[in-house]
Amino acid sequence: MSLDAASLCTQLLVGLSRSMILFIVSAGMSFILGVLRVPNVAHGSLYMIGAFSAFSIYTYFGMGSTGFWLALLLAPLVVALVGFVAERVLFCHLYEREHLMLLLFTFALMLILGDLVKMVWGPEYSSIMPPGGLKGSVSIFGSAFPKYNLFLLVVGPLVAVFLWLFTNRTKMGKICRAAAVDREMVGALGINVSWVFAAAFVLGCYLAGIGGALVAPTVSITLGMDHDIIIEAFLIVTIGGLGNIWGALVGSLIFGVTQAFGVLLWPQFAIVFPYAAVVTVLLLKPRGLLKSVW
Amino acid sequence: MRYRGRGFLLVFSVLIGSLLALAPVAWAGGKVIKVGIIDCYSGPPAVYAKDALNGFKLALKEINKKGVLGRKIVFTTRDTKFKVDIGLSMAKELIMREKVDLLVGTISSSVALAVSDLARKEKVPFFVWMAKSERITGELGHRYVFCTGENTAMAGKAIAVGLSKKPYVKYWIAGDDYEYGHAIGRAAWRNLKKFKPEVKKVGESWWKVGEPDLIPYLTAIMSAKPDAVIFCTGGRSMTNVLKAIKATGMAKKVAICIHTATDHASLKPLGPEAPEGVMGTMDYHFYYPDTPENRAFVEAFRAAYGEPPGFPAFHGWNTAHFIAAAYRKAGEVDTEKFIDAIEGLKIMSPVGEIEMRACDHQVVEPMFLGVTKKSPKYNFLISSDIVTLPGPEIMPSCEEIMALRARAKK
Amino acid sequence: MQWRGKWQWPSVAVIVGLLLLLPFVLPRFYTYIIALIFVTALLAMSLNLTVGYGGMFQFHHGVFYGVGAYTVALILTKTKLPAWVAFAAGPVAAAITGLLIGGFCVRLTRLYFGMLQISLGSLIWAIVFRWYSFTGGDDGIHGIPMPDFISSLKSSYYFILAVLIVSLYLLYRIVNSPFGRTLQAIRDNPERCEAVGVNVRRHQLAAIVIATFFAGVAGVLFVVLEGSVFPDLLFWVLSLEVFIMCLLGGWFTFAGPILGAAIIVSLRTFVGIYTEYWTLILGVILIFLIFFLPEGVMGFLMKRFAPQPKAQVAERGNHAQG
Repeated sequence: MSLDAASLCTQLLVGLSRSMILFIVSAGMSFILGVLRVPNVAHGSLYMIGAFSAFSIYTYFGMGSTGFWLALLLAPLVVALVGFVAERVLFCHLYEREHLMLLLFTFALMLILGDLVKMVWGPEYSSIMPPGGLKGSVSIFGSAFPKYNLFLLVVGPLVAVFLWLFTNRTKMGKICRAAAVDREMVGALGINVSWVFAAAFVLGCYLAGIGGALVAPTVSITLGMDHDIIIEAFLIVTIGGLGNIWGALVGSLIFGVTQAFGVLLWPQFAIVFPYAAVVTVLLLKPRGLLKSVW
Repeated sequence: MRYRGRGFLLVFSVLIGSLLALAPVAWAGGKVIKVGIIDCYSGPPAVYAKDALNGFKLALKEINKKGVLGRKIVFTTRDTKFKVDIGLSMAKELIMREKVDLLVGTISSSVALAVSDLARKEKVPFFVWMAKSERITGELGHRYVFCTGENTAMAGKAIAVGLSKKPYVKYWIAGDDYEYGHAIGRAAWRNLKKFKPEVKKVGESWWKVGEPDLIPYLTAIMSAKPDAVIFCTGGRSMTNVLKAIKATGMAKKVAICIHTATDHASLKPLGPEAPEGVMGTMDYHFYYPDTPENRAFVEAFRAAYGEPPGFPAFHGWNTAHFIAAAYRKAGEVDTEKFIDAIEGLKIMSPVGEIEMRACDHQVVEPMFLGVTKKSPKYNFLISSDIVTLPGPEIMPSCEEIMALRARAKK
Repeated sequence: MQWRGKWQWPSVAVIVGLLLLLPFVLPRFYTYIIALIFVTALLAMSLNLTVGYGGMFQFHHGVFYGVGAYTVALILTKTKLPAWVAFAAGPVAAAITGLLIGGFCVRLTRLYFGMLQISLGSLIWAIVFRWYSFTGGDDGIHGIPMPDFISSLKSSYYFILAVLIVSLYLLYRIVNSPFGRTLQAIRDNPERCEAVGVNVRRHQLAAIVIATFFAGVAGVLFVVLEGSVFPDLLFWVLSLEVFIMCLLGGWFTFAGPILGAAIIVSLRTFVGIYTEYWTLILGVILIFLIFFLPEGVMGFLMKRFAPQPKAQVAERGNHAQG
């Protein structure tokens, strides 16, 4: 195995591009966790719906580049809609109930959405291709690196910036942050807390949808995507600090990069590398690297 | 709380009552031969499972016109979801509750091995029609398991025959981390080393079955700069690997050989986006060989299902005909007589005559070696420059198999 | 919670008697299913020690079940040690794992506890899943040899039933012992217990170790029944299913989880035959439970048929506030 600078660099970039997807999905989960104080176990299923919706939109609009860009635009809206419906019809009635019930609801939602995806899209493999300009690979230090992954490296930070702007510069974002810290106070100020929760949940779902649509050209879109990503998101959110978006970024970077290097060094146990990193972090800082929002 | 005992008793009896009430659905009237099919109808392998089932059904349509010993062959299917525990419990249910005469399936070598063990304990014949691990009829073979598809020993030899003629020396082996992946890796390497001793293995990588993101693995492999890579991917990852190969442009930099790469069911989902120049071994193509039997099979299949058959359909069709012919030869619906009759039985398949070898219950059939290439005629890639390897040349000998089984038993 | 009244022990005797007779009247398949229910019921009961009686968010109980099962499988297939060693090693390994993971988790409370357990449990799952040469990876281990006296379906049924009865009896005694009562007190009000001088963490850890020990026993029984192990036993979705069983049955009652296990296993088997959407149905059941039956079936039945004295109801109400 050549561990020269070129291959290390390529693997680093591959890991970073994967981290971007992980970040977008984990950020959504972290946001929901921060405001509603509930880990959304169904987040992986929403991500999966994002990927499948992207596939449907892509095929509907002729499977070319237009198909891809429209999918990227519309699929997250589909997922946000699903989240909105689930939240308003069922979830919001549980806000006064015991905390455990909210968590269990997200579990149930995960089970149901998983099978709904199977019903709607069938159990077969689906695939979409990157748009024209992003197909193929570029040569980086002599190694082939898919162009689409470069695109991910650009989109990830963009999403991070937008999220930061939202939570710090918009009124809605600031209200969400406030609700995360002290919901009673927010309620006392006359703001309908239930609608704040709805907004936060929908935003989180929207992010999951973006993650799903973005990841679609690089992987096989299949059932079971939800299980794969939810564990990763869980771990990332736990080590990042519950509810902390920047924590999600740090966690995703750690996770994605350790996994990519794991593949380079020990392919069979590549998965152990990120887990080992997670366990190390949790041993040293059980509440996560960055401060939890509450 | 003093009523709790009663309440519990009540609920418990209701439960037992409802269990008993859900008795197995009565099969259609008349005496039948029941076949239980367990296969993976969820996820990427579903396309293969459906194909096999269609081939089986097509054959049954013909067979049931005449009937077998005055009975029709009927079947029921169960979904294993590519998981061993689900496959096993489905097989148990088919044997114990549906009381099937025969079991047929599946694509996953792991599920096949587990069910084979069950079939041996329960003495129910099990026809493996897609799983390819040579251990199924090799060291773990027994009287009640049969393989109607090619196995990794045959494929490995075919791959070795093809690759030994090329100038590649440095090899990388990569694939799915399960029974089939390791079996084909071992078989290909074992045979290649025999034909061309100077080849060197510079590395191996194995990923979890169903791993969605293969790009980091491929970039890692390419950074090691091997001459050629043998991918050992099964039904779950086949299309995924081809897609990742296309995305990284790997086929242009490194020689690649994958068993079943040239199969229609693997190439069709990617359409014109499948990578060209990938070597593959396969035991069936609907466009080759262009014999009258093959043409008739393909036409009938197309008429019934709207598209040409892949290798699973080929195996499914053969399985049905083996079953029918064996029962007819046995003269009665008796398991032991059925097994005695099928040993050594030859039937006519779309690629010519094939035989169910008596010593190990493995089907003897030819393999085709080719390279993926775009076709002006179709919207998907096909195999080109095809080389045929006849069955008897690629089979391990009966003595080798018996020795393997004896070693495994101790 | 104590068994009171003159009906409980006779009812138990009747039930046990019925269960002993079943293999002779039922077809093989149903014997198999009921044996599977026994195994799952023990697993659910062990979980309830931590969830129902301990109030802890034990989200990944399946790990200990899987560790117990894999220990037995590995010892029986890779070494020449006698079966009883394997059977004893399973629960011990599970309890050690419980001690290690629990040791980390009890440092935190509630949500953190649960998430940390899922994280650590998933690590173990990932290792078992990927270590193909040792654990068989995704293939699992099959054809595990059983000693002759429990190799047939009927004999394994009786063996499992015997172990189940003994385990349930032990659990019952534990729950009603001073230890058990302290545990419930910790569940209801940990601050008050600290103030009174109870070492809350050590108590919780002890409860976890006991619960995981019995989960390991359930794992051993699983291997006796099925003769195979797979990484799915360690997967968190199974843990979730067991959690639902406790909820469904009624996590405030002693025998509730048994009922939950029976319902879920039966439904899963029979629904699985007619439709492939079992997970959907499981999800719907859970939603139904959350909205209409938070006390589970047993809890609901008990409220109907055996109204509680007011003091106990108030106590439980406190816990429901979380």
